[in-house]
Amino acid sequence: MNNKFDALKDDDSGDHDQNEENGAQKDGEKEKTERDKSQSSSKRKAVVPGPAEHPLQYNYTFWYSRRTPGRPTSSQSYEQNVKQIGTFASVEQFWRFYSHMVRPGDLTGHSDFHLFKEGIKPMWEDDANKNGGKWIIRLRKGLASRCWENLILAMLGEQFMVGEEICGAVVSVRFQEDIISIWNKTASDQATTARIRDTLRRVLNLPPNTIMEYKTHTDSIKCLSCSPLLYEGRRDHVYKPELSTERDQYYE
Amino acid sequence: MSSGSSCSQTPSRAIPATRRVVLGDGVHLPPGDYSTTPGGTLFSTTPGGTRIIYDRKFLMECRNSPVTKTPPRDLPTIPGVTSPVGDEPPTEASQDHLSSSPEDKPAGGEESQFEMDI
Repeated sequence: MNNKFDALKDDDSGDHDQNEENGAQKDGEKEKTERDKSQSSSKRKAVVPGPAEHPLQYNYTFWYSRRTPGRPTSSQSYEQNVKQIGTFASVEQFWRFYSHMVRPGDLTGHSDFHLFKEGIKPMWEDDANKNGGKWIIRLRKGLASRCWENLILAMLGEQFMVGEEICGAVVSVRFQEDIISIWNKTASDQATTARIRDTLRRVLNLPPNTIMEYKTHTDSIKCLSCSPLLYEGRRDHVYKPELSTERDQYYE
Repeated sequence: MSSGSSCSQTPSRAIPATRRVVLGDGVHLPPGDYSTTPGGTLFSTTPGGTRIIYDRKFLMECRNSPVTKTPPRDLPTIPGVTSPVGDEPPTEASQDHLSSSPEDKPAGGEESQFEMDI
């Protein structure tokens, strides 16, 4: 990995801009190299595919969260409870993490796995998420592990075909049911959200009558602070109301 | 035909479950717009640009790669999540990993931040 950047840099300094376009590209690469370096000096090295590994379109980060009983679900305490597991850049690196983590169906308590593009926090407040929303599918107990695997494989393999729109996916293990969701950047982009819904149906092999609910993150944020009555008045924010279930207390 | 126009004509078509490409000759593929990954999966040009696409079957096959047998070097130890409940932390894998930086310590020290009621 290092040698890749070093090689780029050597290439940079040795070359004397034979044509403008080439030069511009190389400058771009150089900036990237320097940015990566400054990040790595302060934090950690950029994750890149190993030799002979299969690169992914994006790097992704696994997160895990577990609600501490008794604490309010403010965004601050939420952020404290979300723990990074690690970042990967290739198919093989993904399996290396995944094979050493328990399946969601074997998690205990009120906990979640999140898989988001590197740099996007699994929080509504993140810049990539703040205008976004998510498709939510509630699953009866026993289905979460399989559905989660199919969901994230589709995401990593770029099966959704919605450009840059996908932010990440979450599986939430709850008391009586499990919930999987996939987050996208632009809640108002109906072509995108419809395509995500259709892809979900295909990759998850959902029965046609499965209820899927789209929820904007602004609605999710509002529900934390407003009364249920006030919230009812904001039903017009709900995208695809005909698909919405009873919008019960799903605040996560 | 240009790939741009063909993309814009079929924005809402369902994506086929399996990717099967049968080509009698090269004329169906605009040169330069399609390519393959080292594993043979087709790259194709989408409205968002060229993207690396893998189907589920291919991804599942990669699961058997020897490199996936050892945990990532910096995998944090979270009982019940990345290690069995009550088990001692796994010994640090000495496998050469993509990151060989010495400051990349395993995140075991952060465990206390995480309240677990076991």
